[in-house]
Amino acid sequence: MAKILIAEDEQAINHLIKWNLELVGHTCAQVYDGTSALAAAEAGGYDLLILDVMLPGLSGFEILPRLQGLPVIFVTAKAGVADRLRGLQLGADDYITKPFEVLELVERVKAVLRRTKGEAKEFSFDDIRVELSNRRVFKGGEEILLKPKEFDLLETFIHNRNIALSREKLIELVWNFDFEGESRTVDVHVQRLRRKLGISHRLQTVYKTGYRLQV
Amino acid sequence: MKNADKKIKLRFWQKAYLLTLALFLLCINGGILSLTVYTHGENVKAAEEAAKAQQYYVAVSFERDMEYLAENGGSAALLMEAFGAHYKDKGLFIAFEKDGEILYSDFPEAYEIEGNSLRHADLTGKRHILISSEVCGGDYRLVVAKNVESLDEAFRSLMVTYLLTALGVSLFLAVCLYFVLRRLSKPLDSLRKTTQAIGNGNFSVTAEERGNDEFTRLAESFNAMLETINRQMADLEDQAEKKQMLVDDMAHELRTPLTSIYGYAEILEKTAVTEEQRVTASRYIMSQAKRLQKISQILLDEAFIRGNPPEMGEVALHKVLADAAEKLEEPGRRRGVTLTFRGEGCTVWGNETLLSMMFYNLAENALKACSDGGQVVLSCRGNTATVKDNGKGMTAEQMARVTEPFYRTDKSRSRADGGAGLGLALCKRIADAHGAEMKFSSRLGEGTEVSLTFTTRQ
Repeated sequence: MAKILIAEDEQAINHLIKWNLELVGHTCAQVYDGTSALAAAEAGGYDLLILDVMLPGLSGFEILPRLQGLPVIFVTAKAGVADRLRGLQLGADDYITKPFEVLELVERVKAVLRRTKGEAKEFSFDDIRVELSNRRVFKGGEEILLKPKEFDLLETFIHNRNIALSREKLIELVWNFDFEGESRTVDVHVQRLRRKLGISHRLQTVYKTGYRLQV
Repeated sequence: MKNADKKIKLRFWQKAYLLTLALFLLCINGGILSLTVYTHGENVKAAEEAAKAQQYYVAVSFERDMEYLAENGGSAALLMEAFGAHYKDKGLFIAFEKDGEILYSDFPEAYEIEGNSLRHADLTGKRHILISSEVCGGDYRLVVAKNVESLDEAFRSLMVTYLLTALGVSLFLAVCLYFVLRRLSKPLDSLRKTTQAIGNGNFSVTAEERGNDEFTRLAESFNAMLETINRQMADLEDQAEKKQMLVDDMAHELRTPLTSIYGYAEILEKTAVTEEQRVTASRYIMSQAKRLQKISQILLDEAFIRGNPPEMGEVALHKVLADAAEKLEEPGRRRGVTLTFRGEGCTVWGNETLLSMMFYNLAENALKACSDGGQVVLSCRGNTATVKDNGKGMTAEQMARVTEPFYRTDKSRSRADGGAGLGLALCKRIADAHGAEMKFSSRLGEGTEVSLTFTTRQ
């Protein structure tokens, strides 16, 4: 996965972002002020910079134009349109306002990385290997046939691994917003995935919340 | 704006113009007319006198000649005829009557006149003065008519002259008055244009101040008013901007702890956490909730002070300062900072609770600015109290903004200390409520001194 630099002066939030991104498999480095953010970014080796706008030393707006080619997601407490526009005009790849949800952050990071770095080709856990690019799944070297929606569901779990996804969220992500079926549909598909891949211990039910792929 | 665009039917100067012109024309024409009439009257009188004189002359001559006839004999009729012929050449018609019977008359038409009298009458369409009188002791009556058509002519030409003069004068007056009033009302018009521009939202205009009359005074006071309005508008804009900044800052201040609380709660809900991670997340949630609580408390305090003028009384300032130093002794010890109070008995006019809050805040700030081995000194003298530290100090720019709400000289550090960046804003509010002057002097790396000078008791 990607190497991400987090520049945020609030220790609590910096830590929160790091925690969330590490859950889905990224590695993170933390800086707490503008000057060290610029220094770390210039030193290189990162795929993405998560940049708070109001940083001591150099502000996010000051740092942005001095970065060369490093994708940036702005994080700020100011939700004003003017601020958002300014960030995007300066060349930020995306913009996220506080307070944000874990999934939103993960989703945006994934989207930016897909544009800039390309998607991960495959993902493996236990004896399972998922070829994300050509939508094939192997268990112990033997291919398991999944229906399109089952694969979509598996892919969604992989992208948001270690985070519990509610049935509603899964419907939104896998079946799109306009799906009017029942949340039972999700349960049925999860059951099938567990059975076909033998991952009942990995694809956990989270009390009152939903399902989570724990890897 | 509708008001300004409303069509003015008659402007002030136009009204003044029409009224003045009407009044003037009335006076002048009335004057000339009465003069003309008077002159004509005089002319008529003169003509009548002349006619009387002529008639008298004719009468006297006739009486003399009749006396002569009475002595020497001769025909009265012939004499009358001779008189008639003689005076016809001089433009007089003559008639002689006896006992109401016309003896002789060369009048071109019948006439009417009684006894001894004078009247005007038209003969052959021309104006004549008829005069009759008894002659020769009442035996005869002589009627003489004198042609006075020149009188009418004179009157006509007088009237023509009058009319032409009146017309000329009126025209001249109309034109002059137009320009004079136009010019006089020009400042009013320019003032009207200025107010209209202002009405349309253009406040950068000024009224023209020309000359030295009431209009100039008006323009001057108008401009003064405009200046005041502009200044106040600038002030309001400034205040609005400051308020907007405050709201932005407040949103930021509230969203930051909210983000943490929400985020860590979400982690607890959605991910499998170890016991250690559970404690970490819970602690973040609790500390950030406390921070929110602190912000709301300070905002409430601030709003309270703003809304309620504090109850004032005599406050022993030295006690307040000593108290603040004592309360912070323990936190100071932990940081390796000593707090001391030096001072004499000072009494100021104020609210003890608020002053305690303020000096506690100031001393706490001073404490936080110090590193290990630092010194914070609270002192008072007369009606001035100072809090002085030998901590890290501030730059001039920081000093200028230090009392702004949510401003921090060092973001990361003061947040780690649990500050919300509101303490000094609150202190400033308290100082203002006391009418006290709050002054900062500081040098980077050497320390900061805050002094409060209280006004003497009201």
